This record gives sequence, C-alpha cells and structure tokens, in this order.
Amino acid sequence: MSQIKRLVLDVLKPHEPTNVEVASAIGDLQDVDGVNLSLYEVDQQTENVKITVEGPNVNYDLVQQTIENLGGVVHSVDEIIAGKKLVEEEETLHDRG
Amino acid sequence: MSFNIEEGRYVILGSIDGLLATLGIILGVSVVSASNSIVVSAGFGGAIALALTNGLGSYLAESTIEHGKLVKTEKSLLRKLNNTYVESQSKKRIVKDALTHGGASFLASLVPLAPWILGVGSAFVSGFLSLITLVALGVYSGYISKQNYIMSVAKMVGLGTLIIITVELLRIVHLV
Repeated sequence: MSQIKRLVLDVLKPHEPTNVEVASAIGDLQDVDGVNLSLYEVDQQTENVKITVEGPNVNYDLVQQTIENLGGVVHSVDEIIAGKKLVEEEETLHDRG
Repeated sequence: MSFNIEEGRYVILGSIDGLLATLGIILGVSVVSASNSIVVSAGFGGAIALALTNGLGSYLAESTIEHGKLVKTEKSLLRKLNNTYVESQSKKRIVKDALTHGGASFLASLVPLAPWILGVGSAFVSGFLSLITLVALGVYSGYISKQNYIMSVAKMVGLGTLIIITVELLRIVHLV
C-alpha cells in the first residue's frame, strides 16, 4: 500500500487537553515529521481544529487513535497525499472561474 | 505536589477547618482537664476525623462535579470519553483535590496541638500559634487572589479571631 505523506483532518476536541498537548502528542508519533494544528471555531465545550500531519509514512490509524485517546473526534479527512512524493492540488479553469 | 489556583481553594478550606476546629477542641477540653494526654487524645481524634471527613467529602463532591462535566463534554462531542486521557486526568484531579483537602486539614490541626504534644501546652500558646498560621494563610490567600496582602491577612485573622472568641464565649456560658 502507498505511503501517506500528508493528512489534513477536521477534528472536534474538548478544551482539555490543550492544542499544544495534542500537537505534541501527534508530533511524537513514529514517521511523523511535522504537525500543523490551527483553531478555527470555539464554543463553550469544544473546539474545531484543522490538523495537518506530514511525514515519510504517516500511519492514519495511529493518528486517529491518538486523537481519540485525547478526547477528540475526527470529523473528516479533508486531504490526503499518498505515494512516493508530495503532490499538491492543481488549480483548474473551473477553480479560477 | 504543586498547587494551582483551583487547588488553593482546598488548601485554604482544609487548613482553616483543621486549625480552628482543633483549637476549639483544645480550648474546650483544657478547661475540664489540664492533662496533656487527654488534650492530645481529644485533639488528635478530632484532627483525624476532620481530615477523613474533609478528604472523603471532597472526593464525593469532586467525583460528582467531574462526572457531570465529562457527561456534558461527551454530549458535545457525541462520543464517550471512557479510557481516554481526558477521563484519566479527571480522575487524577478528584484524588488530588481529596488529598489536598484532607491533608491540609490534618497538617493545620497539628499547629495548635504541637505545644501539647511537646508537653508545653497552654490555651494561650495554641491560640498564638494558630494566629500566626492564620497570618500565613492570609498571605497565601493574597498571593493566589493577587489582592492586597494586608487585606487578605486582616480578613483571615479577623474571621479566625471571631471564631475563637465565639468558642470562648460559649465555653464561659457553659461554665456559668
């Protein structure tokens, strides 16, 4: 199976643990080179965050397990890059329109 | 064990409880008996009972509150938080709060008891040591609340003195 190079996840999490703790926990996983976590919505009980994970061979199940263990829920997988190299999304005429 | 602002609540609550309740027992018993062993016995009994009730009471109260918070969060997340980091941290908080409340109560109880344990007990010495402890608690309270230290000490000492005077008056009324 192809190796996952980048994952972008939409995650709903409680306020505790903090975003710093969540990002650190995912960053500590094997084959994860870096994590970008950005907050885009907050309410009284929860926070919506976008988590971008990059590495030579990111294990999605492990990332999901880590997020769930920290009390979060993966709402959707918004972007996946798999294969031998990182392939960015190309803009088409339709997108430019 | 480090204390944050939330846990400071239990340090103050437990300390005041243990300190003044034990002082009250000492003042009451020392009237009817000047025997060191009787005062120490009564004081220790009270100190242990207070520590246990405070600790267990906190455990039960915090368990209720923490469970309620978890259920609320679960509802928002639409998932259970059993066996997660969130649940384990919640359990740790409950235990820490219970130990802080009970522990602070017991340690503060030892302050007015100390002179009696050392064989140099008197109501005056116990009262004086308790007053010094109240000053320390007032400083701690001021540190946590970031308020004026003098005001915090005055509040703590003032309320503590009021309680001691009330106990003394009740004692005198009882004797009369």
